[in-house]
Amino acid sequence: SLSLLAESDDNNFILQGTQVKDVIIKPDAPNTLLLDKHADYIAAYGSKKDDYEYTLSEYLRMSGIYWGLTVMDLMGQLSRMNREEIIEFIKSCQHDCGGISASIGHDPHLLYTLSAVQILSLYDSINVIDVEKVVDYVKGLQQEDGSFAGDKWGEIDTRFSFCAVATLALLGKLDEINMDKAVEFVLSCMNFDGGFGCRPDSESHAGQIYCCTGFLSITGQLHKVNADLLGWWLCERQLPSGGLNGRPEKLPDVCYSWWVLASLKIIGRIHWIDKAKLRSFILACQDEETGGFADRPGDMVDPFHTLFGVAGLSLLGDEQIKPVNPVFCMPEDVLQRVGLQPDLLS
Amino acid sequence: MHGRVKVKSTAQQEEEKRKEREKKLKAFVSARDAVLRKRSAGEHDEEALQLTQQLLSSNPDFATLWNYRREVLLQLETSREKDEVQKLYESELHFIEACLKVNPKSYGCWHHRSWVNTRLPQPDWTRELGLCDRCLSLDERNFHCWDYRRVVVKESGVSVEQELQFTDRLIGSNFSNYSSWHYRSTLLPQLHPQPIHSHRVCEEQLLKDQLLVCVCGRSELSVEKSSVLQAELQSCNQLLELEPQNKWCLLTIILLMRALDPLGHEKETLAHFQTLKEVDPMRSSYYSDLCSKFLIENTILKMEYAEVRVFSLSNKNLTTLCHLDQLLLVTHINLSSNQLLRLPPQFAMLQCLEVLEADDNAIESLEGLYHLPKLEEVSLRNNQICKLSDLESLASCTKLTRLDLRGNPVHKTANIDSELSQLLPLVTALSL
Repeated sequence: SLSLLAESDDNNFILQGTQVKDVIIKPDAPNTLLLDKHADYIAAYGSKKDDYEYTLSEYLRMSGIYWGLTVMDLMGQLSRMNREEIIEFIKSCQHDCGGISASIGHDPHLLYTLSAVQILSLYDSINVIDVEKVVDYVKGLQQEDGSFAGDKWGEIDTRFSFCAVATLALLGKLDEINMDKAVEFVLSCMNFDGGFGCRPDSESHAGQIYCCTGFLSITGQLHKVNADLLGWWLCERQLPSGGLNGRPEKLPDVCYSWWVLASLKIIGRIHWIDKAKLRSFILACQDEETGGFADRPGDMVDPFHTLFGVAGLSLLGDEQIKPVNPVFCMPEDVLQRVGLQPDLLS
Repeated sequence: MHGRVKVKSTAQQEEEKRKEREKKLKAFVSARDAVLRKRSAGEHDEEALQLTQQLLSSNPDFATLWNYRREVLLQLETSREKDEVQKLYESELHFIEACLKVNPKSYGCWHHRSWVNTRLPQPDWTRELGLCDRCLSLDERNFHCWDYRRVVVKESGVSVEQELQFTDRLIGSNFSNYSSWHYRSTLLPQLHPQPIHSHRVCEEQLLKDQLLVCVCGRSELSVEKSSVLQAELQSCNQLLELEPQNKWCLLTIILLMRALDPLGHEKETLAHFQTLKEVDPMRSSYYSDLCSKFLIENTILKMEYAEVRVFSLSNKNLTTLCHLDQLLLVTHINLSSNQLLRLPPQFAMLQCLEVLEADDNAIESLEGLYHLPKLEEVSLRNNQICKLSDLESLASCTKLTRLDLRGNPVHKTANIDSELSQLLPLVTALSL
């Protein structure tokens, strides 16, 4: 049983009488945007190659690079990153099957194939890899029911449906897969609450909802979404602290400022969130000392949460940050250059 | 990456921590390099299993290691008898369970377990169901485990009724039980198959969907029968007397009233929406839009009953327009004194429209006012039309002769009179 009121000093969690899990933002939490500190944090991040966290996260390095580069580009600081080194790194991560791995010596996977293609789009250098082989790799992962496996070992997840179409869209090769079947599979993952899960019958989750609404945007099928019902489920993610959680009765996390907010933008319901309160929450997640954003106020920062904090602020209209595309989580000017303007609901 | 608290510590504590991490890092790097060397050399042996086991126990997200492990296991299969293969994979299940104790939310662990079950000569689904029960008793919201459970249930032929009972037990004992409610929403249709809905989203169904989400967590509700809905409405009203600020109660009452008698409950509904906006101000935009939708629906109902072609919703705090596809026969629309920001693209469906009044809103965009062949008169006083280009679509309305734009920022545009008479030469009565 839960006590009606419990507060913990270090984590600032609170269980109120109505048992709402949330955080309390301290009065001295950051309330202005510290863009320069964040740029310094990211610029220095990969340089400490003997850092514990850095080494242990090698299994997702390609995505880590995408997060860092994208947030730097959004802040207008992309030039501080080592373009040549990164491009060479990506080239050495493409395997014979066409797929791209997170790092050298790791196995290829759709997640890192997308991240690599996103990075190369930022750098307008798509042709340093074998594009045809990437397309073959992605095509080869589509299953009979339209779903996509993440790699040859067969894990199915709507995240991978999104990775597949986003990758192909950036390469201009969307016509290479069975689109009807792909759409049919994603729609089969729609739930009673209007949301989407990993696989058919999986519980709705903001991360999966982002992937599925992004997928439906890219494939021109947003009219199949129940925008009013899903929009309501999404705006119910906002907690008294102003932060967003990923599903009912979970704590807020700055990365949901992206997954939830981008989804709302895609389905034309972003005005259903209290923008001022969300902005306050996101700003409170900054670390004034080190730069960067953490998942919630007072926690350790990392590049993942830094990107999604900044991207969330961009979606909320902060003019110090470049406009971000809600489907691809990349600067709008990059997508304009590529010629991609996926539909959003109004 | 999630939930790592930043703790302040002394210089000495920092130094100790740093030394500890350096040690851990060295151990990790050396084990990792050894494993990747072995793999490059094409070695698929017991040592590979030992090395990957060491690393995966504390780094289950290092996906490539699970892949290597599978390659080794497949290789070992080829030189073993069936009963040895059974033992090999049972031991693997044991290892995975140990990993899951440390990391119950690792995609890699759960997927590997599913994979092992495809290789086991004789999977033990009872044991797997027991694992799910234990895991869910620790964390009822672990979606990895729920997804795994669905596979186990399918393979082992556990009945829908049994699973419904399982959710009953969980819902009764857990506060955070949304996952169970979700599971029920997938189980019940298997017991009572519903007719397949066409893809065209049906309003009645939307209402029922939302009601279902609202009431889950409070009671088992069949949203199909009006006697049940009536009883539910009564008990919600009683609850509201005890908890007048309970937003779930307020919203559920609104939805129940709509399902039962939308026109009869209109006044009460508006009052409850007002309270909702006070009680849950973060979502007041949502409630305004939802209320607008319900008012539009009611007006359409009244129009249909009276067989008129005049749609009037002035001074109703409308923040959004919808159901325009149901106004195809309307000749006169009055939307004055609301909070509309735009006339959306769907407005172009109103092919019979002759007169539009939309004064005193905040309209910036007239995207929907194009190719309306019967439109003669438009009044848009006191809105937010700023640029000449905002009015371009009107040029395609060839019968438009009267246009009132007083009180819009656009009147400040240089040479606005001549610009407008060029853009809209057919408009004879223009008010700026």
